[in-house]
Amino acid sequence: MPDDRPRISDRIFRMALAVLPSDFRGNYANEMHRVFREQQREAGERDGFAGLIKLWWETLTGLLTTGPREHWEILKQDVFYALRMMRKNFGFTIVAVLTLALGIGANTAIFSVVNAVLLSPLPYPKGRELVILRQQAQKQGVDNLAFSVKEIEDYRAQNGTFSGVAEYHSMTFTLLGRDEPLRVQTGVVSANYFDLFGIKPIQGRTFREDDDKLGAPAVLLVSYEFWKNSLDGDPNIVGKTFRMNDRVHTVVGVLPPVPQYPVENDVYMPTVACPFRGSKAMMEGRDHRMMNVFARMKDSVKLGAAGADVETIAGRLMQDYPKFYPASMGYRTITVPLKGELIKDARPTLLILLGATGFVLLIACANVANLTLARMTQRERELAVRSALGAGRSRLLRQLLTESVLIAALGAGLGLLFASGGMDLLQGFAARFTPRAREIRIDYVVLLFTFIVAAGTSIVFGSLAAFLSRESLAAGLKEGTGGASASRRRHRVRSLLIVSQIALSFLLLTGAGLMLRSFVKLQRVDPGFVPQHILAMKVSPNFTKYTKNDQYRALSNRMLESAKMRPGVMSVAISSSFPFDPDSVVFGLGINPYLIEGRPLKDGEAQPTSAARVASADYFKLLGIPILEGRSFTEADTKDAQQVAIVNQALVRHHWAGEDPIGHRISFDDGKTWQTIVGVVGDTKELALNQPADEQVYVPVDQYPQIGSLLVRTMGDPMSVARDIRQSVYDVDPDTALTHMQSLEAARSATLTSPRLTTDLLAVFAGLALVMAATGIGGIMALTVSQRLREIGIRMAMGAKPRDILRMVLRQGLGLGLTGIVVGLLAAIGLTRLLQTLLFEISPTDPITLGAVGLVLVSAAVISCLIPARRAAKTDPLAALRFE
Amino acid sequence: MSSKDRDREPQAPLTPAMFHILLALADGEKHGYAILKEVADRTGGKVQLSAGTLYGIIKRLDESGWILEKSQRPDIGFDDERRRYYQLTETGRRVAMAEASRLQEMVDMARAKRLVRKPRLA
Repeated sequence: MPDDRPRISDRIFRMALAVLPSDFRGNYANEMHRVFREQQREAGERDGFAGLIKLWWETLTGLLTTGPREHWEILKQDVFYALRMMRKNFGFTIVAVLTLALGIGANTAIFSVVNAVLLSPLPYPKGRELVILRQQAQKQGVDNLAFSVKEIEDYRAQNGTFSGVAEYHSMTFTLLGRDEPLRVQTGVVSANYFDLFGIKPIQGRTFREDDDKLGAPAVLLVSYEFWKNSLDGDPNIVGKTFRMNDRVHTVVGVLPPVPQYPVENDVYMPTVACPFRGSKAMMEGRDHRMMNVFARMKDSVKLGAAGADVETIAGRLMQDYPKFYPASMGYRTITVPLKGELIKDARPTLLILLGATGFVLLIACANVANLTLARMTQRERELAVRSALGAGRSRLLRQLLTESVLIAALGAGLGLLFASGGMDLLQGFAARFTPRAREIRIDYVVLLFTFIVAAGTSIVFGSLAAFLSRESLAAGLKEGTGGASASRRRHRVRSLLIVSQIALSFLLLTGAGLMLRSFVKLQRVDPGFVPQHILAMKVSPNFTKYTKNDQYRALSNRMLESAKMRPGVMSVAISSSFPFDPDSVVFGLGINPYLIEGRPLKDGEAQPTSAARVASADYFKLLGIPILEGRSFTEADTKDAQQVAIVNQALVRHHWAGEDPIGHRISFDDGKTWQTIVGVVGDTKELALNQPADEQVYVPVDQYPQIGSLLVRTMGDPMSVARDIRQSVYDVDPDTALTHMQSLEAARSATLTSPRLTTDLLAVFAGLALVMAATGIGGIMALTVSQRLREIGIRMAMGAKPRDILRMVLRQGLGLGLTGIVVGLLAAIGLTRLLQTLLFEISPTDPITLGAVGLVLVSAAVISCLIPARRAAKTDPLAALRFE
Repeated sequence: MSSKDRDREPQAPLTPAMFHILLALADGEKHGYAILKEVADRTGGKVQLSAGTLYGIIKRLDESGWILEKSQRPDIGFDDERRRYYQLTETGRRVAMAEASRLQEMVDMARAKRLVRKPRLA
């Protein structure tokens, strides 16, 4: 036939047929082609070129409607069939869906945190332009020195790279006008602060230039959380007034929920309203540094240019005011992106957790793939029958993939439910590391992630199973014999999967084990004081009422007396702050430069600095801090007596190593007054248990009248006297604000929350991994035993004892387990150093942890192999041989 | 397709294309191209099936058991042996008749409402 020559139009037509399902093509392609050619010939003869064009158009549109419709039909059938098979194998379906749900759920949960905290841009317009300026004293190891009012003025006036420079500091003030005096964390900011961030209020307005002028009416902005929680979300809050620092403040607006850095503030006020910042010393003292500085870079300015600009200004200031920037301190000012600052604490933990959940998912995939493979063995007959009934190979593969996609989709849906159920927990967890925790939610990016993970998952376990059943499809018909090599290959793949599961479990268990050991060590750290039975609280007298030192002395004495009288109270102390004081944990202990009598500073030598704390006589006894030399403070250390100080061991080691420090004098005011050291006390870990104790100077409260905290040692549970103690303070002065009332034990434990949570999460993931790996190895051994029943029967008929059979099966299972452990160990040695930053006093390759994990996995392997092994050992050789 | 799905009576009206194919096969077996041609000729070119749509419909008619692919082929010499021929099954014939009478009823109703001017036989 002349028409049989392959022509371009034939080839194009054949290509167009690709839109049809392969089964359909296999059945009708030749017929269709024949019909098309006949039509083509007729159309060409009858209508010429126009007829051909019309025919092509009709044919192609026809194919484009038929193709999708046929695919859809197949999909419907496959889904129907898959659902029926899933119902029939309900146990398999449940296990597979749950396994994947746990894997996908854990990944979705952790990714939602990673997405919100690390990946999303800051919730401020052009957040990338926002930076923090940080003044440092490098030679003193101080990386955040804060800025003085004068310095901020200079940076604001002299820079050429910022569109705005805003100042910020945070203090606690007492808000009156409600039932109880309310201690509010107050952000004190320049008027341009909120405009700089681009924060729009949800009610009222933010600050204007006029608000920050001397003599302006006092105004307040309230944070979203404070408005919701403490002001009951009052819709008419704007215009209401509060008394604060003896002035009436009017609320002008409510802020939206935005991350607050470095601390969460309840309210904000303009700088001019802060009585501390307004003092002459603060306004004029170039070295009175208290403020943070935020800035927004101009549109086209790069971080490097802004940083160079800031450094230039810093250099100029050092030249102009050498007195305030002694070379010995190593001053410099750096510019860091705000986002980096907000997430830097969270990054290592989150990335490690994401890695851990990734491993869990891989293990889950391997488990489900193994399950699917095992089930394929059972389904070989069914697939062979379908194949004999005319289902093509690709058609069957498509069917199998549909099943795995469905299972993955169900797993993903359930996993998503798990993840969204744990959202509150996750936010609480992330809040320990970053102010961005409130941004965590399941948004479209997270959904997309879950979708991709689920798709990837179904491809991994589905195509593996489908691929391996491909060769056995044909073999299945030939009743066992032909399938031998395919089944061997499948067995190899299953073993490989088990080995990788064990190896991944080893990694996860090692990570969790290291975190656990590190956590136990942290918990066992002796903080240097006895936190049990101590109630601690922050005390803030209304400072507008107490302006003279004598008033403070009298107040502190009255508070001590009043509290001491309460039942259940053993002793009471007043101090400026206390160990694990939440304020100190955020702001640090304070850096106070001092002089040592008789030791003038050499040229270029840095002035020594120390934390300093005011403490009443019973402070050391109450906290159980040992007096190592000299004496404690006494009632005799009054304002008119000799000025005294007590120092801790760390400070003694620094300045008087091997000497007796008692009797030496130090001065915190350039030699105007001198404190004589009268005692040495033990070191205390105050900010974090994983850091060495700071050098510390204590001075008596009568000589430095300052009230910041009240500590109470109790006979029983410290919280049981909380109400009584609160009343005892109000009895003395009802305008006093009490905050952060908690047992010192709880304060100490709070500092351990984030390592504890990280440890817990890793432990949960590792536990999941262990269970999956153990069931995996048990499952494959059970399958092996049932496949080798005949062989085992022969062995036993030849004289093998049940013990030999038991040993044989165990040996095989253990072989897989040990291979996995060796691979896991090698991987662990390479990978665990990523945990380094989170570990405390423990090496990432800690042999005890690695050994213990190995032991756990070996035991898990033995236990999970024991059931199939015993079944094998109990085999009746006759029955086994009769089988088949 | 399980056997209970086969030989079923139509649940919904047939699509025009399906009905035309059944009609084309009503007076004997035909191959694909012959079906196309007959439909086009009979409708004066108003209904144009293409190779792209024809076999999708044939597949569905086949699965429904309304048409059957002939296993024996017509005489060699008289016809090309590579062709596949289709014929109406008994069910298919009943389906076509049911559809025809349904259409007839519709036309009658339309006539009663004076929507059809003059009865015209096909």
